[in-house]
Amino acid sequence: MASVGSRSGVSYDARGLVEPHAEMPDNIEVDGGRARFDATDLTIRQINMALRKLIYNDGIVDVTVLNPSSKHSLAVGILKRCRIHFEGSPGWFACGLIDGPEVTINGRVGWSLGENMMSGVVVVERGAGSLTGAAIRGGDLIVKGDVGARTGIDQKGGTIIVMGDVGINTGFMMQRGRQIICGNAGQNLGDSMYDGEIYVAGKVSSLGVDCVGGEWTDADTELIERKFRIHGLGDPPPFEKFVCGKQLHNYDALEPSERKLVI
Amino acid sequence: MAGSASTGESPSEIRTVAIDAEVLAGKRFPYQEDITLVADIDLLAATPGPDINWLEDITLLEEDGVPAVFDRYSNSFLKIYFDIPEGQEDDIARKVLIRHLVDGNSYGITLKDIHCKFPQVELGPWVEESRIVGENWKPTELEGWSAPAAH
Repeated sequence: MASVGSRSGVSYDARGLVEPHAEMPDNIEVDGGRARFDATDLTIRQINMALRKLIYNDGIVDVTVLNPSSKHSLAVGILKRCRIHFEGSPGWFACGLIDGPEVTINGRVGWSLGENMMSGVVVVERGAGSLTGAAIRGGDLIVKGDVGARTGIDQKGGTIIVMGDVGINTGFMMQRGRQIICGNAGQNLGDSMYDGEIYVAGKVSSLGVDCVGGEWTDADTELIERKFRIHGLGDPPPFEKFVCGKQLHNYDALEPSERKLVI
Repeated sequence: MAGSASTGESPSEIRTVAIDAEVLAGKRFPYQEDITLVADIDLLAATPGPDINWLEDITLLEEDGVPAVFDRYSNSFLKIYFDIPEGQEDDIARKVLIRHLVDGNSYGITLKDIHCKFPQVELGPWVEESRIVGENWKPTELEGWSAPAAH
């Protein structure tokens, strides 16, 4: 595609894409429906190109990426059922916008893991940064360590499970979906949330505006036991449930449009 | 008009306040009217992970007084006209939605062929095999128009 110049001297193509290094890597090992490659010397674009080619074009259903080396924006926008394994730690915005993949990360991740995730499963063996699951719409996001602030901010669906602690403003403006937090929660839990459920097993530093204790139902028990069972997380601890109090001044005006826009 | 709700205005003043999947498509689909066409949908097989994953958030809603399921891929409601057995409301809503997506009838899917800038599967994770779209995207050209200088 023809490139288009810019005043900064950086070349963009007609899609607005900067392609500093767009050559496919030559170190991919393929074995039947599985593939693996070492990302140490690859650019972000090369890693994502390789993932897309393997999964979309070559029919590979299981890809292992070795040494992601904290590079940002890896495995974003993958829209097909597959398995992706990271042996090491991706950086910011890993697995954003995915629709279908089941991802395991044998390491930790930076900010905004699974942002706008549509469906699939992401399991992180260690901790994650702030904004984990920001605006997630569906699927399961599991972090076995601690996470930073604003977990599930603007969450619109899906289930976020944190086996450790979460930071401040967790569930801020949450609109739908579920958060299961096995450790402690920082200040302002569920601040300005519109809907959804937050379950906390540890201590809550403080509740945010319009976040209140919720009534426990059989559906809550079924959900938590099922998620722990299918993801092999052991026996769930006892949880306290938090929901939206629906007293915030703007709730009545927002609810009708929310129903149509956040699902 | 697409799912417009009458608010008492004259026809010229009627505002569209919702989007209806069948209006976007220009037709109603058979599975909106016949429950047998969705009976064999396997929701577990259609979703990643060991449970129904993202479909957990899909429930039966109502639009214009008609039972409906929301299609997040086109931001539109898909109405359901057959009688839904009691106790199966959400299950049926999910099956109708998956049939709509598997058949490629979601308006968001039909737009992909023209507008995808990057290679991706045409259908989504609900089917095993799907053709790739977006490999040869070209900017839309408006006949008789050219970009002003310095753009």
